[in-house]
Amino acid sequence: MSVPNILTAASAGTKARARKPVTRRQKRDWVFAAGFLAPFMILLLVFQYVPLVVMAKNSVLDYSLLNPAVAKFVGLRNFTDMIEYEDAAVSFGVTFLFALGVVVTVIPIAFLLALFLNSKLPARGLVRTMIMLPVVTSAVVVATMWSFLLDPSNGLINGVLNLIGVGNQPFLTSTGQALPALIVMTLWQQVGFGAILFLAGLQGLPPELTEAARIDGATKRQVLWNVTIPLLSRTTLFVVVIMTVFSLQAFAPAFLMTQGGPQEATNLIVYHIYNTAFIMQQAGYASALSVVLLLVVLAISTLQMALLRSRWNY
Amino acid sequence: MKTHPLQRALFVALVIALILCCFLAPYAWIVSSSFKNQLTLFNDVTPLSWKAFFPVEGTLENYRTLFERTNVLRALLNTAIVAGGQVALTLLLCAMAAYSLTRIRFPGAKIVFVMILLTFLLPIEALMVPLYQVVSGLGLSNTLLGIMIPWIASPFGLFLLKQAFEELPVELEDAARIDGAGHVRIFFSIVLPNVKVPMLTLGLITFLFSWNSFLWPLVIVQDPAHQVIQVAIAQQGSPTQLPNWGETFAGATVATLPLILLFLLLQKYFTQGMTTSGIKG
Repeated sequence: MSVPNILTAASAGTKARARKPVTRRQKRDWVFAAGFLAPFMILLLVFQYVPLVVMAKNSVLDYSLLNPAVAKFVGLRNFTDMIEYEDAAVSFGVTFLFALGVVVTVIPIAFLLALFLNSKLPARGLVRTMIMLPVVTSAVVVATMWSFLLDPSNGLINGVLNLIGVGNQPFLTSTGQALPALIVMTLWQQVGFGAILFLAGLQGLPPELTEAARIDGATKRQVLWNVTIPLLSRTTLFVVVIMTVFSLQAFAPAFLMTQGGPQEATNLIVYHIYNTAFIMQQAGYASALSVVLLLVVLAISTLQMALLRSRWNY
Repeated sequence: MKTHPLQRALFVALVIALILCCFLAPYAWIVSSSFKNQLTLFNDVTPLSWKAFFPVEGTLENYRTLFERTNVLRALLNTAIVAGGQVALTLLLCAMAAYSLTRIRFPGAKIVFVMILLTFLLPIEALMVPLYQVVSGLGLSNTLLGIMIPWIASPFGLFLLKQAFEELPVELEDAARIDGAGHVRIFFSIVLPNVKVPMLTLGLITFLFSWNSFLWPLVIVQDPAHQVIQVAIAQQGSPTQLPNWGETFAGATVATLPLILLFLLLQKYFTQGMTTSGIKG
């Protein structure tokens, strides 16, 4: 995305005009521009900026959504509570573990799929369509589907395991298996998205580079490790950030498949916020949790932008 | 070491078969099971037989009860209205804003653009609680408008269209301008007809996002009459507490089919939109 270019172009425009006196036609244009921008900007302000302010304000209050008028100012107590009680640490810990699990499995498998799809292949279109189907399927349907696939007694996955001589597994009802099961499900859903991003990256590489390396006598494996993979660092970083941000915001799996359990083993942070605000009616504390989540996501996105701008510019 | 072409062909065939199994089998199981009664469904899985993936001895019973006893039909209609409205309004508002930012030089353009840019990074889920208060404060809880309105001013949509508008040569509009055409006419009769592909891409991504959204409708609508399809099928129940799996599978099939068909028809634009955005609904 050429965001910086657009910014400089816009500022250059304003400077060039500042020297000339403003004509009537220009004024008319300005009024028109304001009118054409207004609907978009008003909605942006009301539904993005106002909630930000409301969230910051609410994070220092103690109140419920059922009766928001009765609110008590508690200073930073919501934030100190987060440190004092274990729920926030556990929930953020589970969420980070989940995100880590998704990223480290999606990246290599998506990359291999992209390499595979980039080679001469029969039925390439069919394979690409198949891996994209879960991406366009809703989180609710995927979660529903997988809670039945993973059912301890009659699920399809246990049916397959039985065929190869493995006994029934509890999956979602086991503290040790629930989070890995959700990671595998998310891998299944997201890997196609990672693969088409890598595929776009691979197809954007100048073929001369790999050809030159081949002529110089490099083996296919050497070309892959020393030319292709380094050239794709930007794409890889992009996929890492998208998958991380996506995983940090996962909600449907915890809500539909495990209710955060067993023993909070899958208590993903957005589900925890939902429960705290809408079920337990502690909206102030939920706002404080939201502030922390927002800061974490912003930090990751900002880090990505900084990295993309400074290094790995081939 | 040189691999034999036959070996390679075998390897490729195996990988393709494995991919198809992993990604197709769950869909095949869900869809074919939606045409079965509980007993047949279970018998086909333990021990696993090929029948698990085909609707042998099928029945439409699950679909009949689904449409008769639940509000799925109403939810589908609500979802279509929300998704349709959201697509139309997003396209219109983003295109208008993109036109102002690319075709008119005005003071403050940079500030406006930075403001939009900043919201690009906001994680929607983190804003759920305050957004609930804002939207219900406006009296829009339990309405279809309340489900769609927060997402209409889409920064992603603006960027996508802004890029498309910038690539469009300004010379196209010069003749019309000399003829005395105003901005409104240039916008509708010259700019918009020339950005059909980016508009289609944005429309599809918006539709996908809207159709699949779950947390926000769950939060803002409690009234069953205004429920959307994802919330409706989410409330059908889990494997352990459910008398009939086939009915849930029928619901999942009904909720997914429209989107899958749309995707199969217009896959190229979907993929294009997703690779440029990195956004996933």
